[in-house]
Amino acid sequence: MKKTLFLMTLFIGLGLSAQSKYLTKKGTVAFEASVPSFEEVKASHNSVTAIINSENGEFATLVLVKGFRFKNALMEEHFNENYAESDLYPKATFKGKILSFSMDKLSAKKQLFLINGQLTFHGKTKQLDNVKANINLNEDGLIEISGFFLANATDYNIKIPKVVKNKIANDIEVAFDFSLKKK
Amino acid sequence: MGKNRKTRISIIALIIVVLIVIIGYNYIYQDHRNIEKEKATFSLSADEISAEFSKDPDTAEKKYLNKTVEIYGTITELNPMDMTLNNNVYGAFNISLTATTSYHINSKIKIKGRCIGYDDLLEQVKLDQCTISD
Repeated sequence: MKKTLFLMTLFIGLGLSAQSKYLTKKGTVAFEASVPSFEEVKASHNSVTAIINSENGEFATLVLVKGFRFKNALMEEHFNENYAESDLYPKATFKGKILSFSMDKLSAKKQLFLINGQLTFHGKTKQLDNVKANINLNEDGLIEISGFFLANATDYNIKIPKVVKNKIANDIEVAFDFSLKKK
Repeated sequence: MGKNRKTRISIIALIIVVLIVIIGYNYIYQDHRNIEKEKATFSLSADEISAEFSKDPDTAEKKYLNKTVEIYGTITELNPMDMTLNNNVYGAFNISLTATTSYHINSKIKIKGRCIGYDDLLEQVKLDQCTISD
C-alpha cells in the first residue's frame, strides 16, 4: 500500500506518460574529494538510474550508494561504514527540474541548461540551484546530460575526522553523465 | 659482549619495523572483494528477491545489502555490460557479455553478484560485479 502510494505520487509528480519518458539505468556519477599531494579520494558509479520527462524537464535520479567503487578497497570500506553509512542510507536521490527545457531546443550540439532540485544523501536533503548541465540529443535519439557541481560534506552531515581532515576536501566535486533513451 | 647485544636488539627492532610496514601496507592497500570467488550467501529466484524488497524494503536491505547472492531467472533485457532478469533484477557485469556468452533474451540463467539495493524508480533489485554461474 505504502509502495503503491509512493509510486502513484512519484508518477503523478513526474507527470510521466509513456511518450515523454526518457530513461537510463547505466548513468555515471563520480565524486572526488582529493587534496593535492595526498592519495586521491575518488569514486565512480556506473549503474545510476535517471528519468527525465521530456515534456516539462522534470528530472529524477537514484544512486544506490554501495555501488560507488574506489580504487582503494579500504577507502571504499571506510566510505561505506563511516562517511556515507550506506547500511543506514543505501540511497541517494536527486529530484528536480531542468529550467526552460523543451525537446525542440535540443540539437546534436551541446547546450547549457540549468537544473534546480533537491539532493538527498546520507539522510539529509539540500536544495541545489542553477546546476549547470550540458544537454544534447545525439544521432541515436538519446538525450545526453552531463555536468558537475560542488557539494559540501557538512551539508550532508558527514563528519570528516580530524586525523584525515587535511587529506579529504570538504568541497566535493560531483560529476554526472547520463545518456537517456526514450521509453 | 655489550656491542653484540646491541646489534641483536637493533636487528630485532628492524625486523619488527619491516613487519609493521608490510602489515600496514597490506592493510591500507588490501584487495577488493572478489565476488566471483565468494560463495553466495543466498540463492533464490529473481521474483522472490524482488518481492521481498517491494514488500518490506527495510528488512530486505538488512538481509541482502552488500551480500553475494545468486539469482536465477529468465533474461528479459540484455546489453553488453548488463542484463535484467524477469524485469525485476538488474545485474551489472565487469566484463563484456557479448564475448563470453551465447545467452539471449528468454534464456534461463543463474547469475552471481553483490546486492547493492532496490531501485524504486524502476522497481528493480540491483546487483553489481556479476558473473554468470550457470
